[in-house]
Amino acid sequence: METLTNITGLLQGGLGNLASYLAAHVLLCLLPAFFIAGALSALVPREAVTRYLGRDAPKIVSYPAAALGGFVLAVCSCTIMPLFAGIYKKGAGLGPAITFLFVGPAINILALTYTGVAIGMDIAVARIVLSVVFGIGIGLIMALTFRHDDAAHAAEINGAFAGAAVVPGAAWAFLLLLVALLIAGTLQVGLLSNHYAQLTLPLQGVDRLQETLYRWVPFDATRGEEGVTAQGAVLIGLLVTIGLSAWRGLESIDEGFNRWTWVSLGLIGLTLLAASLRFVPRAAGLDLGITGRTLAVGAALVGLWYVAARRLEEHQVREWLWETWRFVKQIFPLLIVGVFAVGVIREWINPDWIQALAGRNTVLANVVGVIFGVFMYFPTLVEVPIANMFLSLGMHRGPLLAYLISDPELSLQSILITSSIIGRTKAWVYVAWVAVFSTIAGLLYGAWVDGTSAWRIAGILLAGVAALAVALRYVGMRQESSARALEKAADSGSAGGS
Amino acid sequence: MEIKVLGPGCPNCKRLEKLAREAALEAGVEATFTKVSAIKDIVSYPIVSTPGLVIDGEVVCSGRIPQKAEIVSWLSEATRA
Repeated sequence: METLTNITGLLQGGLGNLASYLAAHVLLCLLPAFFIAGALSALVPREAVTRYLGRDAPKIVSYPAAALGGFVLAVCSCTIMPLFAGIYKKGAGLGPAITFLFVGPAINILALTYTGVAIGMDIAVARIVLSVVFGIGIGLIMALTFRHDDAAHAAEINGAFAGAAVVPGAAWAFLLLLVALLIAGTLQVGLLSNHYAQLTLPLQGVDRLQETLYRWVPFDATRGEEGVTAQGAVLIGLLVTIGLSAWRGLESIDEGFNRWTWVSLGLIGLTLLAASLRFVPRAAGLDLGITGRTLAVGAALVGLWYVAARRLEEHQVREWLWETWRFVKQIFPLLIVGVFAVGVIREWINPDWIQALAGRNTVLANVVGVIFGVFMYFPTLVEVPIANMFLSLGMHRGPLLAYLISDPELSLQSILITSSIIGRTKAWVYVAWVAVFSTIAGLLYGAWVDGTSAWRIAGILLAGVAALAVALRYVGMRQESSARALEKAADSGSAGGS
Repeated sequence: MEIKVLGPGCPNCKRLEKLAREAALEAGVEATFTKVSAIKDIVSYPIVSTPGLVIDGEVVCSGRIPQKAEIVSWLSEATRA
């Protein structure tokens, strides 16, 4: 009997975790984020960013462009790797290529929004700022360390990095509307959360349904858990129908639209609206509160439909839906499994261990966070529920950030591919620097959480990057002058000889 | 005719290969298909992003999945040339 109670307890842990990670406010973030990722992938021509990453691009342009590229262009490793190889071999060289390689997995739009909504905006912002600064830093260091190799390797000019593409106006509008949808869904502001109208559906028994759900999947509100509410159950049901209809409607979208495409898109819009309503089940019926959020989400959806139908070309809409669906297929199933597993495992882990190892913002704690991130491989986005689990078990936010930054960066497969492109030595040096910088990032953020002023931290960061840039400049000038000296010697030598 | 599909193995390039094979059948073209998945080799072609389609040594498309009809027209052009 005890085993049965244990198993039930584990299942409830898993289901409860799933409920909180698919709750209304998470869906309002995750669904638009997938569409944004798809839009970035389909509507932003690579050339619009890579034109700033050419061989002759000045460093002040190529490094920030590489960081921006990492944010905009890189959602999965199959996009990151070929671009990384291209930037390295045909473009701006090792430095910006490494910056791109680092920044891409660290701040892709899905991971960032998910971190923000599931753990907190402060850690998401820290993730962006520190990843960009350290990405540029690692790029500069690698360029400095391997400057001889870099100068020597072949310069194939083939025009791939000399394009002049720009992002078309309609694509900008579309992207901005998608971001507006995301913000409308997630911003915690009175204007959006207040409800302005109420609709009462004469549905009996919804309150009893909710009571039953609370009993099946108990939750501990003091631990920040949320149970499965009636709204949650409705949303999960909608997600299942979306999955089924999207399979028919989006799987072959590159060949054309069909009925199921419209069905699935309609269901997605409905889900977003349903997630933004306020459900209050009463004995007499179901009260639906129309909040500011509902209106904002509705407006964004209408705007998106208009731009997609009137301003974008058909192939752009098809490619957008294809890319979005591809990311969903790659990421969502594993995410569900991962969230469930985390909910189960969490019952087993003793908080004392976590607090002993990583309860305070020490160097050791951050190193532990990084080692865990480097050696444990988790599917994309699963690092967020895992980080949340550690947080609730007592891990300090500093080591947590160290883990969050290092986890997506390195997996055995990505290290192997990277070393096939830049060579084993460079690859392992890169891995070492990623570990070092993730630790430092965690320490800095942890210091801020513990009370150190943000200005002080910004000052330390700027000083570090400035020192690197100066060192690289100095080395570059030395290299140039010694090359000129060699030329002179060769000239005078040949002049003397002839 | 030699058709190469460039891509490291993600859903996009797999889809491209499938479409290319179907297009070759439709166009009635005899072709050998090669999948280039090693990043090192992909980079040797003048493309910036995968997937890429190479027909008889010339890159006809990169960075997106073309429609089957487009591939069929490229194949027909290549046979005429």
